[in-house]
Amino acid sequence: MTSVSVRPALLRPVRGRRIGGVAAGLAAHLGWRVGWVRLGFMVLVLAGGVGAFLYVFWWVTVPTGNPYDPEPTRPAAAVRLARRQPLFTASSGRRLPVTDIGVGLVLVAGAGLVVVHRVGAGVQVGWVLVAVLVVGGLGLAWSQLDAVQRRQMSQVAGGRTPGSVLAVAGGVLLAGAGGLLLVGQVSGRDLAPAMIVQSVVVALAILAGVGLALAPWWLRLVRELGDERVAREREAQRADIAAHLHDSVLQTLALIRTRSGDPVEVARMARAQERELREWLYADRPSPGESLAAAVRAVVAEVEDSRVGLDGQPVAVDVVVVGDTVPDDGADALLAATREALVNAVTHGRAPVSLYLEVRDDALEVFVRDRGGGFDVDQVPGDRFGVRESIVGRVRRRGGTASVTSSPERGTEIHVVMPTAPRTGENSG
Amino acid sequence: MAEPVNVVLVDDHALVRAGVRASLTDAVCVVGEAADVDQAVAVVHDTRPAVVLLDVHLPGGAGGGGAEVITRCLDLRETTRFLALSVSDAAEDVVSVIRVGARGYVTKAIDGPALTGAVVRVAGGDAVFSPRLAGFVLDAFGTSGGDVATTDDELDRLTAREREVMRLIARGYTYRETASELFISVKTVETHVSAVLRKLQLSNRNELTRWAADRRLL
Repeated sequence: MTSVSVRPALLRPVRGRRIGGVAAGLAAHLGWRVGWVRLGFMVLVLAGGVGAFLYVFWWVTVPTGNPYDPEPTRPAAAVRLARRQPLFTASSGRRLPVTDIGVGLVLVAGAGLVVVHRVGAGVQVGWVLVAVLVVGGLGLAWSQLDAVQRRQMSQVAGGRTPGSVLAVAGGVLLAGAGGLLLVGQVSGRDLAPAMIVQSVVVALAILAGVGLALAPWWLRLVRELGDERVAREREAQRADIAAHLHDSVLQTLALIRTRSGDPVEVARMARAQERELREWLYADRPSPGESLAAAVRAVVAEVEDSRVGLDGQPVAVDVVVVGDTVPDDGADALLAATREALVNAVTHGRAPVSLYLEVRDDALEVFVRDRGGGFDVDQVPGDRFGVRESIVGRVRRRGGTASVTSSPERGTEIHVVMPTAPRTGENSG
Repeated sequence: MAEPVNVVLVDDHALVRAGVRASLTDAVCVVGEAADVDQAVAVVHDTRPAVVLLDVHLPGGAGGGGAEVITRCLDLRETTRFLALSVSDAAEDVVSVIRVGARGYVTKAIDGPALTGAVVRVAGGDAVFSPRLAGFVLDAFGTSGGDVATTDDELDRLTAREREVMRLIARGYTYRETASELFISVKTVETHVSAVLRKLQLSNRNELTRWAADRRLL
C-alpha cells in the first residue's frame, strides 16, 4: 500500500457512530464501507463472542476524534497563543472515556457470564438481570463525565442540559431499582412488599443523613471552585490590560520623555496614544473589513499622524459616527474621498476639524468641516486640484455626489453622499 | 449676564480641577470643589451653586459615580443644574448621567470659552449637547426618514426639525451656526435641544432600550 501516509488516523468519530464509533472509525481507517465492518463485527460476535471482545478492546483503547481531521482533537492548551478563549474549555483536552469503559465492562461481564455458563456453573437469570440493571444505571449516570458529552454540555450555561439531568435521574432510578432487587434476592425469595418499602425508607433516611452531614463541605468546595474561577478570569483580564499598557502607553511615555524638546512631536504622540487607548477601552474592537466606523477611524488616525496644520501643529479631528455597516466598493470610494477631504481640511483649514459619518438605509453620508478662511470653489488654485478630482470625481464615478461649501466666516465643509447598493444604470449624477 | 454664574467643580483629579478652573473665564465663579461622591453631595448642598460641573467617574458613595451625586441632590433640582464633564466616550457613561437628570454632556477636550459658554447656557435652563452626544441621540433614535414624530409630545421619536438640529450639532456646528443654517433663532435651537434632552431622559423607546442593552446599560 502506497497510501499509508494519507490513510485517516484510527479514531472513533463523534458523528455517525452507533454504539462507540469503533466500526465507523475502523471503516474510515481501512477505507471500507461501514456496513460491511458492522456486519463483520456481528458475525464475529455470533461466532463465539470474539467480535464483542475486539469491539470492547478498540472502544477502550482508540481515542475519540475526527479521523479525517485529527487536528481539532489536540488539547487547546497546546495551541499557541489561543487568545480570548473561554476559560475552562481549554482543559477539556484531558478526557476519560467513562461511558466507553462502563459499556465495555458490561460487555466483558456478559462474556464472562457466557464463559461461566459454558463451564457449567449454574447462573440464575435473576442475578444477571439485577447486575445489568445496576451497572447500566451507574454507567448512565457516570456518562456525564464523558469528554464528548461534556463538551456539548459546556456550551450551555452551568453545563446543565435537559439531557444530562435526564441521564442522571434515569441512572439513579435504574441503579436504585437494581439495588432493591439485589437486596430482595439476597434476603430470600418471599420478601414482603411492606418490608421492601420499609428498607427503602431506611436507606433513604441514611442517605439523607449522610448528605446533610456532607452538604457544608460540598457547598464550600463549590464556592471555592467558583471563587477560583473568578480569580483566574480577573487575573487573565489584568494580564491582558498590563500587556496592552506596556506595549503602547509605557513605550509612548518613554518616547515622549526622550523627545520632550520637540513639542509638535510630543503633541502628535500624545494624541495618537490617546486615540489608541480610547479605541481599546471604549470600542468593541470589530474585526477588520467588517466595520465602516472602524475604517473611518483608521483613516482619521492616519491623517492625524501624517499631516500638520498651517502653523506646523498637529490637528485633532472630532469624529462622530452614527450607525455602522460592512464596507463595500462604494464605501471604499467614500473612504478615499473622506481621506482627501480630511487632508485638505487639516493642511489648509484651521482647527477644530469635524468629521460626521451617518450610515442610513439608503445612503452613506459624510461631512468634513474645518474653520479655516475658506476659498472660492470656482477658482480653485492648482494645488487644490485634489478637491475637484480626487473627491468630487471619485465619488461621482461610483454614483454618489459631493459638494463643497466655503466661506470666510463659516470655514469649509465638504459633503459626500454615497448611495448604498449602487445600481449600475444610475450613473447620471 | 453681568453676574457671574456660581459653579462647583467635582472631579477626583486635582490636576483636572485646577486645569478647568484656570480655563473658565470671568463669567463663571468657582465656589467649591469636591473629589468624591459624598464630598460632592455635601459641598453642593452647602454652596447651592447654579451649575455643578460633574465628572462621570467618581470614587466614594455607593459606587454610582456622577449619577449618584445627581440622584442624591434631587432636592435641589429647582435651583442647581448638572453639566457632565468627562474624558470618557463610552455611551453608557453619557446616557447614565443624562437619564438621571444632567442637563448636558461635554468632553474634557473642550476649550475654556466653549466650556464657559456651556456653563452659562446650562445655568439659563438650556441643554448642552456635544457633537458626540448628538451622535448618540441619532444612533439611539434612528436616522431613517420615515420614523418621524408628528407632534411635540411624542416621547419616542424625534421630530424632523429636532433631527436636523441634532445632525448639525453632530457635524460640529455651534448653536449660532445651526440657527443661521436652518434660518431660525438661537432660542429656537435651544428649545429643540431641550426637547431632545427631555425625550432622551423620559423615552421608553424600544430602540433606546435595545441600544442601551447592546452597550450593557440599564
